Parts: sequence; C-alpha cells; structure tokens
Amino acid sequence: MSTKDIVVDNLIKRYPGGVTAVDGVSFTVQGGQIFGFLGPNGAGKSTIIKILTTLALPTEGLASVGGYDVVHRASDVRRIAGVALQEIGLDPTMKSTELLTLQARFFGYDDRQARARAAELIDLVKLNDAVDRRVGTYSGGMRRRLDLALALVHEPDILFLDEPTTGLDPASRRDIWDEVRRLNRQLGMTIFLTTQYLEEADVLADVVAIINQGKLAAQGSPAQLKAAQGAESINLVFTSPQVAQEAVALISDMAQRTQVDRDTLRVYLDHAAQAIPSVVNRLQQGGFNPISLTLSQPTLDDVFLQVTGQRMQNEQAQPAEAGAAPAAKTRRRGR
Amino acid sequence: MTTAEFTPRAMTAAAARSSAPWLTQVLLLTRRNLVNIFRTPEAVLPPILISVFFLVIYQSTLGTAAGFIPGLSGKAYLGFILPLSIVSSSLAGAGIAAQNLVKDLENGYFDKLLLTPISRTAVLLGPILAGALILGIQSGIVVAVGLILGLDPATGPLGLLAVIGLAVLLGTGFAGFTVSAALGSGSAAATQSAGFLFFPLTFLTASFVPLELLSGWLKVAAQINPITYVLTGMRSLMLDGWNVADLLPALAACLLLAVAMYALAGYALRVRTRRK
Repeated sequence: MSTKDIVVDNLIKRYPGGVTAVDGVSFTVQGGQIFGFLGPNGAGKSTIIKILTTLALPTEGLASVGGYDVVHRASDVRRIAGVALQEIGLDPTMKSTELLTLQARFFGYDDRQARARAAELIDLVKLNDAVDRRVGTYSGGMRRRLDLALALVHEPDILFLDEPTTGLDPASRRDIWDEVRRLNRQLGMTIFLTTQYLEEADVLADVVAIINQGKLAAQGSPAQLKAAQGAESINLVFTSPQVAQEAVALISDMAQRTQVDRDTLRVYLDHAAQAIPSVVNRLQQGGFNPISLTLSQPTLDDVFLQVTGQRMQNEQAQPAEAGAAPAAKTRRRGR
Repeated sequence: MTTAEFTPRAMTAAAARSSAPWLTQVLLLTRRNLVNIFRTPEAVLPPILISVFFLVIYQSTLGTAAGFIPGLSGKAYLGFILPLSIVSSSLAGAGIAAQNLVKDLENGYFDKLLLTPISRTAVLLGPILAGALILGIQSGIVVAVGLILGLDPATGPLGLLAVIGLAVLLGTGFAGFTVSAALGSGSAAATQSAGFLFFPLTFLTASFVPLELLSGWLKVAAQINPITYVLTGMRSLMLDGWNVADLLPALAACLLLAVAMYALAGYALRVRTRRK
C-alpha cells in the first residue's frame, strides 16, 4: 500500500436521533489518483470528508489517510493532508501573505522559509496584485485561490478539495482544474475531490464514486461508468412531437429502447454509428424525414440519474459570481 | 495558473510537515491576535474611554465628599476611586480576548486552525495573552490619567506597577469566563452578553465607600465578591503602603478567579474541539 492511499472500510456514521448519514461505505483511493466523489445533497459526502480530514469521528468502520488511522493518528493525518473545505475559513482582517506565512510557521518552517513559501504560493495562485489588501476585500474566486494555497503550504501528500469550484466563474474554474491536474501530475499528489459539477468529475477524475443515501451507488472510471450505463443513442428531431411519436412504431424493433422527448426521438442501441444508415433508411421508406440527427454517448449525468434517481443539482445553472467581494462569510460550527 | 513555476519540496524536507514547538505556536498566535486587535481598534477603545470617563466623573462629583467618609479623612479620594476605575476597565477589557476568539469561530478560521497540527491550548492562549497585554496598556493609561489628576500613591511608582499587575491578573482571569462563553456559544452576541457580568461584579462591592460602611445584603454580596478584595488591596497600595494583610487576599482573589474560570474554559475548549 502506498503512503498516499486513502482506504475506507465499511464506514458507518450515525447521528444521535437515529439518522444514518453514512451506511457501510468502502472504497480505496490509490496514491496519485484524482478521486471524484459525487452525490446529491445530504447523501453523506460532507460527512465522509469530515471524517477523513479528522473533523468528525466515524461510528463504526475504519478509515486511513496516507496509512494513518483517522481516529487514532489524527495529528499525523493533519501533517500529511491538505484540506480546502467548502466553507472557506479565512480571517478577513489579515492579508494573504500573513495567512500563508503563519500557516507555514505552524507546520514548522522557520520565519525565512515561511516567507519564501508564502511568496511561492502567492505566485502560484496569482494573488500578487492583492497581497497588500486584507482578505475581507477579496472576491469569491480570490478567496478560493487563497484557500487552495493555504491547503498546499506544507506540500501535502494528499489533498482534500470540497467543492473547490462552487460559486466560481468558468474562467476561474478552469484555472483551478489546471492547477489540480498539475499538482497531481507533477507532484503525484493524491486528490480527493467533491463537486457539484459532473463535467468537473468527468474532466478531472481518474475514478468517480457516487454516493446516495449513505451508500456507495457506483464506482469506476468515468469511461467505465458511462460504458456500464449502456447504449449510445441516435437522436432524431422531427417537425412535431406527433411525427416523432409516429416514427417510434417504425423502428422500435431495431432499438434496445426508444424515448420521445417533445419533438426528439431517442433510439438507444449498441454500435449506434454503424446503425445510422439502416435507421435512416427505414424511416425514409416509411416517409419520415428527420430534420436533424445526432449521436450521443452516455454522460456521467445519465449515470448519476440512473444510480441516484435524480439529476445533479445546479448542473444547468452556471455560476455568475466573479467580481463581487463578499464580506466575511459567517459560519458556525454545528454543535 | 500554468505559468507560475512551482518547485515541489522546495524547502528542506525536515522543515516541511512537522509542527512548530508549542511555545512558538503560542507566540505566533499571540502576535496574530495583537495585529488583529490593532487593526480593529474600535474593540479596544470603549473600555479605556469608559474608565477614564468614570474616573474623572467620580473624582469631580464625589471627590469633595471624601473628607466626610470616616477612615478616608485626609487622604485623597482619587487614590480610593482609581482602583474602581482600573478594575472596571480590566473587566470590560477582558472581553477583547473572547471577541477575537469568537470572530475566528464565526468566520471559520478556528476550524482551519484545528486542521493544522498545532496544539488546541495554543489556539486558546493566543487571544488570551494578546488580551492580557492590551489590559496592561489600558490600566497604564488609566493610571496615567490619575497621575495627571493629581494622584499621589503611598507606595510610589512600584505600587502603581503592582496595581497594574493586579489589574492584568484580574482581567485575564475574568477573560477565562468570557472565552468560555465564546467557545460554548460560538456567537458574538452571546459572548458580549456574558461580558455584562462585570456590572454586578463591579458594583456589588465596596465601589464608592469602604467595606465597613456597607450594611445588609450589599455587605454580604461584597464579602463574597472577589472584586472587593482586589479593590481593598489596590486601595491599600494607593493610600496606606505595602500592607501584606491587604495584598495577599487581593492576589488570592485574582488567582482563585483565574483558576476557576480557566477550568471552565478548558472544559469549553474540550467540548468545542471534540470530534463527534
């Protein structure tokens, strides 16, 4: 076992009052992988990330991060893991260099090393123009970047990123993606990532796990999961929903299944590309002329819908926030 | 973020990913809290201004009555009332540590600190030591105003230092209480409310006249109130001289309060940082 692995074995978390947030979850993240952890709100994602980052205790089961048991070797876990939580905890009266230098000192750097490290990280996350400003005046994107830098101060082996791009504009999201890839490829950092955006998991993750109602519902590489989801589809658009409906009868024997969505007829079948000529042929013989034809691979979204019974929230709504400078976001630790 | 050159493991391997010695942690966090306090001076100024205000008011309204108070005859009322002013500034200023802590709890930086390998006690001591330093400065200012008003302490400059020392000790002890409230509630409003306990502490005591002149329930309350002994000790320094029989109870009252309040704060810290 590599010292950069995360191993979770039959993890259970029950809260007082009988709520079981995590119900027997097991998975292994191999050292050097980017692991995308997905699930609807309330599925148990944040509970697991809290247990792995030593902020919460499991009720039963085992979890180890970099070979250290999260229950009994919490301080070792904190030394080798970097964490950027969904709620960014920054002191708004401090400046980015001060926060980074202080963080480096906590991890045992001397003053000179800490300053050098802070300067390095400021460069890395491109906050050079904002070093003289208090963090309270930063935009959401800048705060995220600073938070990422803080998580990287001690050159962790394993990095936990809890929804690192939530609330970011597309350009900032792409910056974070590039950075995550680079940390992973150049330093071999294991990255445990939760996200609301399936596209993000698809683009970044080597392995994706989907949790639903406290249980692991699916796990594998994005390609495997999509392949397991089944057939590709030929999407045919007709002049009206009626026409699309009428066309179903003509070709239903060729398909594994069909689905009419308004004026679009989706024909699900294996080796869809090869089947296009015969499908079109059959339609034309019956007097149906589709306006357009497209071919779809199954998406991670289809996988998510299949295993959780719901679409991922916020997937459609692209965040617009970029320049606004939110005042110190207040949050309180749940008691 | 592709242009910046990031050198992996740039620092010496030994330095990275260990943790700073405990004392360094405490000093780093104390310094950070001090910087924080100086950047938000609006939290520090009211306790000083209130104390100076009351000192001037008490002296000018009650100062002439001093001759009529038995046991105070011939001695300046200023030396008698200054300790009250210093004690109230200490107790009011005790909230500074807790306000700093509660800010961290509210903005989430406290959780970030918990994710580093630093000690929990360092996280607690940082704001408390920074607060203690501010208390010393506050008391110094009140004493300086007293000197300007004509204060002539029986024990001289050393006595003034002793008074400031007692004030810092008292305020820091009381800070243990407000810090407990901060840790317990995590809310700035609740922490502020807890600080108001300083009113009964300051006024259910021999505030304006010596203990012997009190009677009934107020006398009983004053005898229980540790502040009474602190006031008596400080007054003795101002008016009589180095009187061990007055100073020891004052010191004991400060230490007793501190021990009790820090037991509470330690418990509150354990509850707050316990993983659930």
